[in-house]
Amino acid sequence: MNIKFSAAFAIVMYLVIPFTLGDNNYLIGLVASALIIAGIAVAWALLGNLGGMVSFGHAAFFGVGAYTSAVLTMDHGVPVFVALVMGGIGASISSIFMMPALRLRGPYFALAILAYAEIFKILAVEATSITGGAGGLLSIPTLPVFMGIDFGTKLGGYIVILNIVCLTLITYHFIRKSTYGLALKAMHDSEMATRIVGVPATYLKIVMLLVSAFMTGSIGAFNAHYINFLEPDYAFSGSWTIFPIVAAIFGGYRTLSGPVLGALFIYLVDQLVFKSVMPQGHQLILGAMLAGMIILSPSGLLPILTKFFAPKKNIKKAEGQHA
Amino acid sequence: MLKVEDLSVSFGGVRALQNVNFEVHKHEVLGLVGPNGAGKTTSFNVLSGVVKPVSGTVTYDGHDILKSSMHQRVTYGIGRTFQIPQPMHELTVRENLIVAQRFGRPDGKVKQDRIDEILESVNLSHKSESDAATELALTERKALEVAKALATEPTLLMLDEVLAGLETTSKKLFMETLKKIRKQYNLSMIVIEHDIETIMNMCDRVVVFNFGQVIAEGDPEETFRNPEVVRSYTGEVLA
Repeated sequence: MNIKFSAAFAIVMYLVIPFTLGDNNYLIGLVASALIIAGIAVAWALLGNLGGMVSFGHAAFFGVGAYTSAVLTMDHGVPVFVALVMGGIGASISSIFMMPALRLRGPYFALAILAYAEIFKILAVEATSITGGAGGLLSIPTLPVFMGIDFGTKLGGYIVILNIVCLTLITYHFIRKSTYGLALKAMHDSEMATRIVGVPATYLKIVMLLVSAFMTGSIGAFNAHYINFLEPDYAFSGSWTIFPIVAAIFGGYRTLSGPVLGALFIYLVDQLVFKSVMPQGHQLILGAMLAGMIILSPSGLLPILTKFFAPKKNIKKAEGQHA
Repeated sequence: MLKVEDLSVSFGGVRALQNVNFEVHKHEVLGLVGPNGAGKTTSFNVLSGVVKPVSGTVTYDGHDILKSSMHQRVTYGIGRTFQIPQPMHELTVRENLIVAQRFGRPDGKVKQDRIDEILESVNLSHKSESDAATELALTERKALEVAKALATEPTLLMLDEVLAGLETTSKKLFMETLKKIRKQYNLSMIVIEHDIETIMNMCDRVVVFNFGQVIAEGDPEETFRNPEVVRSYTGEVLA
């Protein structure tokens, strides 16, 4: 991500939005929800866009993270911010059970991960004594007051999820720029070429799965304390997988900022524009827009914006920096 | 240095290798020759960890490499190339070598000066920032294949028909490059090649395969006079 873009993003997200929308709980809540999808999209992109492991199971990490954090705070008195981290760890531990699927490639990996996600959803329903079963958990503690700031408000929650998304972006950035990122990029299309020069491909996949699960689990944990209730159909909903995938690909395939941009764009345009035009079935317009976008610009939104805003002589350079 | 004993490989009902034995000594260039389907590339695949054998042992510098992962074998000093070059797509030529250095060397350190030296050795310096997948001609892809293996700092380099498909002039130049590399990096080599002239020019010793078995081995000139070897190439049925 280039410095100008990062600075503009930080100013808009940390200053412009809180000061202009901070009093409007509905709008700030919408942006926070978009950021939840953005965070999962970044975590998904780490596996799918960078490592070529298309996962349909991120809803499982989201749900496990949410339940882990909720149960730890409700039953064991763990502080909420500590529980957010524990939610991530819980999701990472759950991903260990998915590791046999790393032997598979392409659609087989995607299907195996999807099956694992369903197993976790069933476990959440059946483990009534821990999860509350199908009825779910109510009155999950809100985000606390910390250093005089009430993070339990919509604006406070927005700041927390914004920080989490920024941390996931920074992590993603450093992984991409490292030799591990180069190896992952290479493994995407030429796994044998990487293995034969000594890349421990399976080990790298395991690490990326653990990191991606941790990121998604923390975001799931945040969401549990943000909305204060959980039930399995919601926590393990396929939407927590599908929306982030769409955002990651729509925003800019294999770019750093694309997943965040895609999530903000898709969610906010859908909720603020399409929903007001067509209150029932607004997803139809969204679907048509996504289909059109993928046909017209398979690389996603970011390359279009780069082409539109950047001076012509800098287009190639800018694309290189984002790619 | 490398000792292969009683190595057997099966693919379903097909015995690709049957009780194969051969050795490679330090600083030696060994040629593996034989008709198509004789088991030469399968031997490479076993040595590099791509294929698991049914039985047999392979030791390299005291390591029982059949118990080691592909990654470990590279760090022990075994490098290889593929007959069809396998560049790491989406990476530049230099990035290909960075990945090979980072993961193929036991200490995991990337030495840019070593990468520059290797690029110079295989005549790819001018292409270091080129896209490995789309901007290289066949000769350059073959050179990159060798450079990637060299970047792992091998002591044994296995070259699988690295000259195949090159026109005569390029082939001669490439062969000279390989001989220079051998001296420069003090390498042992195993070379799979169909071109007899190349084998004579490069190899200290040859092992001849046919139908998954070793049928002859020794000095290249003498071995190619062996009637059984001639028959294996001409396709005559053994009495």
